[in-house]
Amino acid sequence: MLDIALVSLIQDMSEKAGVEGTIQYWIRVGENLAKRMGKEAYMGWPSFNVALREGRTAFSIEGNVAALTDLAITDVDGDVVGYIYALEKCVFEPTILRVRYSVGQLPRADKQIADEYNITYRNIAVCNFCIIHVKFREEVAKNITIAGQPLEALHLANRGFTGDTKIDEENLNKIGINKEYVRSLLRNYACVFALVMKGARLKGEVSEE
Amino acid sequence: MIQRKIERKEDLLDNPMVDIATYLFLEDIADKQGAAGMNNYLMSLAYSLARSMPEEEYTDWDSFVEAIVKGESILSAFEKVNAVSKYCMVTVESPFLRGWKEYTKRIGEFPKIHKDVAEYYNSRTTPTAIETGDIIIQTYRKAAAEKITVEGKKVNVAHIATVSPDGSKKIAPEEWLPILLEKANITRTQMNMILRNNAGVWIVYPTQ
Repeated sequence: MLDIALVSLIQDMSEKAGVEGTIQYWIRVGENLAKRMGKEAYMGWPSFNVALREGRTAFSIEGNVAALTDLAITDVDGDVVGYIYALEKCVFEPTILRVRYSVGQLPRADKQIADEYNITYRNIAVCNFCIIHVKFREEVAKNITIAGQPLEALHLANRGFTGDTKIDEENLNKIGINKEYVRSLLRNYACVFALVMKGARLKGEVSEE
Repeated sequence: MIQRKIERKEDLLDNPMVDIATYLFLEDIADKQGAAGMNNYLMSLAYSLARSMPEEEYTDWDSFVEAIVKGESILSAFEKVNAVSKYCMVTVESPFLRGWKEYTKRIGEFPKIHKDVAEYYNSRTTPTAIETGDIIIQTYRKAAAEKITVEGKKVNVAHIATVSPDGSKKIAPEEWLPILLEKANITRTQMNMILRNNAGVWIVYPTQ
């Protein structure tokens, strides 16, 4: 019931604190959630990817995350500095279905909040919950080190419940992945993101310079 | 109908991230507005949830109780309910159990505010809440009951006792209990027997 209560709360919140106020609350929740989950350290990418597959990392709270190890991200020297990951099922999807079956329809605040976020922050949200999700991943990545290096999360693409998609082309360019390829990943996954070593000299960033 | 229920069971298990985010969202509100502010938000969201539910009408009490037990009434939309007498309902498992378990597993112990806000609610509304979730579900049940008509009469909900996932209990005050138990048509011993392996006891009854 907690998730249904949450949906009710966001409608209530956006009426009381405004849509922008709700976005601020969501961003803080994403930060707090990551902070409360603590730090993690791994010897290398293989051990991190195994931990992810076995559901032992903070990212596992989202559900089944697939490490697309055929999609290694390399830096300007050709060293592997990250991978692409994909979440199989949107964390908000069960809630959307439960609201559909128990209440009837999602409150209009869901779309209003996502739209406002897309205009004022980053054009990546397909529902209001993407806001916490994006922030959560960014903060969790900072708390995880691989071979002593902290990570950075780059959001690449999201697919909404009704099939609408959002793709962050700026981040795609940084890691040099084709937009159409990421779009094809969205057929099987709800959202796609990259984890890279923080400070890595990515090909896309260097060519921009 | 049976087929859809099977699909729902597979698809509708809430995600732990959403549940934990909700608790953190509420804690954030409490940090800024204290127990009183959090209580207002909890009650307000329960009212708004009940408001968004469809109205119900039943031609007789038995079909109303049957709808509750089958999970077809708005009173049992979020919880599995059994009827132990004409008016006495038993919630088998807290609708917040999954969220509670995920929070304690992934985050740790719940902050004291979740109990403080329940005490605030108990001192001002109905004294049967143990933690945050109880405020939501108890307020929701009362507000949802107002949307139900049985044999042309409105129905009311009153709470007898609540059991937290950690086993702690909150029973209605001594001065109210005999009246509530009489309405429920159960004895104090029977109530204690029910509380051993259920999450709550409450009554739903027609208005006079």
